[in-house]
Amino acid sequence: MANVHVFCFFASYVLAIALEGSAVVRRSTWLHWLSLGFIAAGLIAQTFYLVGRSNTADLPPLLSSSHDWLLVLAWLAVVFDLTLSVILTLVNRNVPMGLFLLPAVLLLIGASDLVGDATSLAMSQATDVVRRGAEERALRGWGMLHASLLVFGIGGVIVGFLFSIMYVVQHRRLKHPRTVTNTLSLPSLATLARLNWWSVVISFPLLTLGMLTGIRLVYLSRHTQGPIGFADPLVVGSGLVWLVMVGFLVWLLRGDHAGGKQVALRTIWAFGLVLATLLGLQVVFNGHTSAPAPRQASATDPARSAELEGMARQ
Amino acid sequence: MNVQVIYCTHQTTPLALRERLAFASVEQLTRAYESLRATFPQSEHVVLSTCNRVEIYAAQDEANAPLTQEQVAEFLSRFHGVPQNDLGGALLWQKGPEAVRHLFEVASSLDSMVLGEPQIVSQVKEAYRVAQENDACGPLTHALFQGAMRVSARVRSETALAVGRVSVASVAVGEFGKSIFDRFADKTVLVIGAGEMAEETLRYLKDEGAESIVVVNRSLERAQRLAAEWGGTARSFDELDHWLSTADVIVSTTGATQPIVDVARFRAARETSDGKPVFILDLATPRDFEPRVADVDENVFLYDLEALRTTCDQNRRQRVREIERARHIVEEETDRFLHDIYHKATGPIISQLRAGWRKVCQDELDQLFSRFHQLDADERRGIERTVERIVNKLLHPPLEALRDEARRGTPQGLLDAVKRLFFSDE
Repeated sequence: MANVHVFCFFASYVLAIALEGSAVVRRSTWLHWLSLGFIAAGLIAQTFYLVGRSNTADLPPLLSSSHDWLLVLAWLAVVFDLTLSVILTLVNRNVPMGLFLLPAVLLLIGASDLVGDATSLAMSQATDVVRRGAEERALRGWGMLHASLLVFGIGGVIVGFLFSIMYVVQHRRLKHPRTVTNTLSLPSLATLARLNWWSVVISFPLLTLGMLTGIRLVYLSRHTQGPIGFADPLVVGSGLVWLVMVGFLVWLLRGDHAGGKQVALRTIWAFGLVLATLLGLQVVFNGHTSAPAPRQASATDPARSAELEGMARQ
Repeated sequence: MNVQVIYCTHQTTPLALRERLAFASVEQLTRAYESLRATFPQSEHVVLSTCNRVEIYAAQDEANAPLTQEQVAEFLSRFHGVPQNDLGGALLWQKGPEAVRHLFEVASSLDSMVLGEPQIVSQVKEAYRVAQENDACGPLTHALFQGAMRVSARVRSETALAVGRVSVASVAVGEFGKSIFDRFADKTVLVIGAGEMAEETLRYLKDEGAESIVVVNRSLERAQRLAAEWGGTARSFDELDHWLSTADVIVSTTGATQPIVDVARFRAARETSDGKPVFILDLATPRDFEPRVADVDENVFLYDLEALRTTCDQNRRQRVREIERARHIVEEETDRFLHDIYHKATGPIISQLRAGWRKVCQDELDQLFSRFHQLDADERRGIERTVERIVNKLLHPPLEALRDEARRGTPQGLLDAVKRLFFSDE
């Protein structure tokens, strides 16, 4: 387990994409199954890696570092991809989910590399259970809830983003049957529109609850050595992203849009902005978790939420 | 191995003659099996009769003489009352490995009119089932048809021969319609005109669950006839604009010389609809819908015959590319089948030969050991191993010769020779 490196599962997913691409071009079922095999192998390797990291840090991966948090997000995306692919394949629909979802997974793994993989000094202090008081336990619990809500919310955003891309690809194929030679087997527009709608409806409340728990963390951190300020760039950025989501949801629920393609395009823009902002903020403001000095934590940064625990005890 | 097939197919025989030779009903098939049993009592039979082919497979064990083409042709002529002169060269004949290969190709849809079409597998299965019901099968035909099912499954799973649809109506509904809608049960289908293509498309739509069908035609009487046939309702042509805005699926096949739906008319219809997706199949020549209707809004999906045929051709080309891979599987499976059959034929002789020689050795060794009590266990084992090696070396040439011959077919002559040389009591 200790020998598993990020490269192992990264390479597995790259191979899976290549095989899925070949399966689409050659319309080969066995290449599709081989691709699923590589995804499964990568998932197992990634699971071992995260378990190993968690054991080393003595913290759940969601809290141990931004690196691990991003890998948990990627792990969830792969689980979703593999489960859906296997189900669809078993009902004779070889939908190349991996071609759409795995690039996002690779992006997340790449981003996790940029933010560094060291466990922070504060977190190593947070593992000291003996010294933990009621306030620290509350911080840890809220931190965990905050990180979980965000990871599932952003997971929903990623899935919605990809369903929207699938919708646009399928729409283009159907509108231009003579010019677009498409061997991709994709779900129907009706299915994709419904999945897209559900991903928005599910991810929005999760992100909202993530924001609210973040505000609670701000409140709890007032008496720590590293209180969180509302002017923190991560808090401000996340707030803006949330407002974009509100605006998009209002537009979606008003139902005055002409068709599914507009919904899909706006979802791509809105969710793309959400993902770019959140990942960008992670990379820019949370790239040095191994820095020994305590620093200001953010309500929307799960790894730094965990740091608060350690700080609160000091 | 005695397997023969007499057949006529869409490739070699005109429909008029195929119709006369077909076994159209279960009753007719039952009578055919009775007649075959009476005429060729030592033979196993399976009759495969579809709209594209009539084939009679026959098989006999080695003890019985194989059927000849003339015998089976005479049977067909007598059973259907078709003079032999009318048959001419229409009936083809294959035997042995070629007959096996032919069935495997048929079951894999390599010999079908529409390459890779799936119905033939069900038809072969059904023919085999009916033959079993009529006690017409035996060990050879069981192995042959079970082998055919296996080949068909392999071709389907290991090649893309059956991927993609190749008929206009199936492409329209299966490839485009199902890529737009999840289901058709809650969709309103509007049929404009009452052409043959409309009927074929309606068949696919009904298979997909379409229930609400509205037929609009200039001749209300024809509309009513088509609507009655498909469980729909007929409407006057004056209501066309209303139904254009209501329908989810529009199938148009009128014989009009000018487009009946232009952009302005369709845009007006869309303004009174809620902008839901509409799937239009313009199957008329010349077209019933102006091509620019597709640009009215993003939820209008318009397909004319040219677009559908382009997709059909793409799928057909894709299938043709898979023929070689499919044929390779058929060859592999034919070899495997023949090897299994020949192995079964030579297996008992080889076992009998080995057992006979071993018994002779064992008897001699027992006598030897009873005379030489001083031999210890190691010495006895050494002698036993030496004798076994001698037996194996002596048996090797005849057994190898049998195996070599078996690769080319049942080595009946050699088997007889072995029996005469080594089994004097038989």
